[in-house]
Amino acid sequence: MGKTDDTKLIERCISGDRQAFEALLAEYEKPVYNAAYRMLNSPDDARDVTQTVFLKVFENFGQYDPSRRFFSWIYRITLNESINWLGKANRLEPLTFEAADEGNGPEQELESARVSASVQAALMTLKTDYRTVVILKHFLGCSYLEISETLELPEKTVKSRLYTARQQLKDKLTKMG
Amino acid sequence: MAIEQKFTDLINADLDGEISDAEKAELQQFLNENAAGRALHDELSSLCGTLDGVEQEDPPPYLRHIIMNSVPKTQATSESPGFLKVLFATPALKYAMTFAAGVFLTLSIVNSSQISDQALDNVTGLVGTVAEPVNAAIADSVVLREVDIAGTVSLRSTGSLLILDFDLVSADQIEIQAEYTDSTIWFNGFAQLASKGTTVAAEAGRVRLGMDEGKRRYAVYLQNESDRNTTVSLSFLADGEVVHQANLKYSPID
Repeated sequence: MGKTDDTKLIERCISGDRQAFEALLAEYEKPVYNAAYRMLNSPDDARDVTQTVFLKVFENFGQYDPSRRFFSWIYRITLNESINWLGKANRLEPLTFEAADEGNGPEQELESARVSASVQAALMTLKTDYRTVVILKHFLGCSYLEISETLELPEKTVKSRLYTARQQLKDKLTKMG
Repeated sequence: MAIEQKFTDLINADLDGEISDAEKAELQQFLNENAAGRALHDELSSLCGTLDGVEQEDPPPYLRHIIMNSVPKTQATSESPGFLKVLFATPALKYAMTFAAGVFLTLSIVNSSQISDQALDNVTGLVGTVAEPVNAAIADSVVLREVDIAGTVSLRSTGSLLILDFDLVSADQIEIQAEYTDSTIWFNGFAQLASKGTTVAAEAGRVRLGMDEGKRRYAVYLQNESDRNTTVSLSFLADGEVVHQANLKYSPID
């Protein structure tokens, strides 16, 4: 959905149109849920964070800056909520590689599920700063500029974090086999 | 041999499609001459392919309903008619109803199939009982944002009737208990959007609803003949555990 479409929907939301909010929800429910899931490594926590994110969006439409893209606003809320969630659960520190949840083991998983579990396990070993850029780049399809807008960081920092994160992921996945 | 940071950055930028023509040419020349660079390019390319290929997880199917029922109701301009308006406009088609005046002090349990069977016979009586239900004012309301259940419960009043208006979505089976201590108030009826698996039990001072997973809309009618101050205590239970409690208060307008 383009920026113009989002802006129109948001204008309708502000005027109290629930159908417009439902349209935004339909558009962003899945990416928000997936971002939360990849941050938290828990479907239940991702569900709760997704609910919280949309309630915050609904209650704070007045604070939305229409000169910015809506997705960067909602993704930022999602990542912040996820980090808050990790903080509450005392899980801000990355997991050790051995402690990461790898599911039921590769033999029992379909290939795609195995890959997904391996990636998730490796992802959880990254510091949250690195995890966020990987999620925005590879799971939400954002460009450097869009990541920069979402995280309110210079592009140079985004690149640096992304490249470092990739190197760490590569090493973890190689070690994992 | 270590790869110069500049070329590591160019490799990453290339994989992200964020490289200029000049940078691309410089990178290509480097890769042509450097086996370690080519190996890193291949490894990172494989990694990016893996990351980009991970399938998206589907959110739970009920999540959207829970969220929509959690957000506060506003003055929507294009929203469908309100529950009560629809309820009394086309009851025979859309609603199954039970009218249970006189069940106070006795235990009355019905299930959804019984409600459906009795529906059309009793609608007229109920409509006749309720005066101007569309204009029923909201005396109090509560918003639920629990993991197991979300939505809104409003306490409305019209004449001597109090109407508990439940607009809920649950992720699992939920039991709802509405308790009122004033013995002059009695259960006077129940209505629901057509649905299955609902149970209703009314006894002195308490009404219990059993709802299945999904989106539900119920109205419970209480007769408040003396138009007295009262509080309805709500409890929501999942697997026998209380997951949410709330009080709804009604005060007559002087």
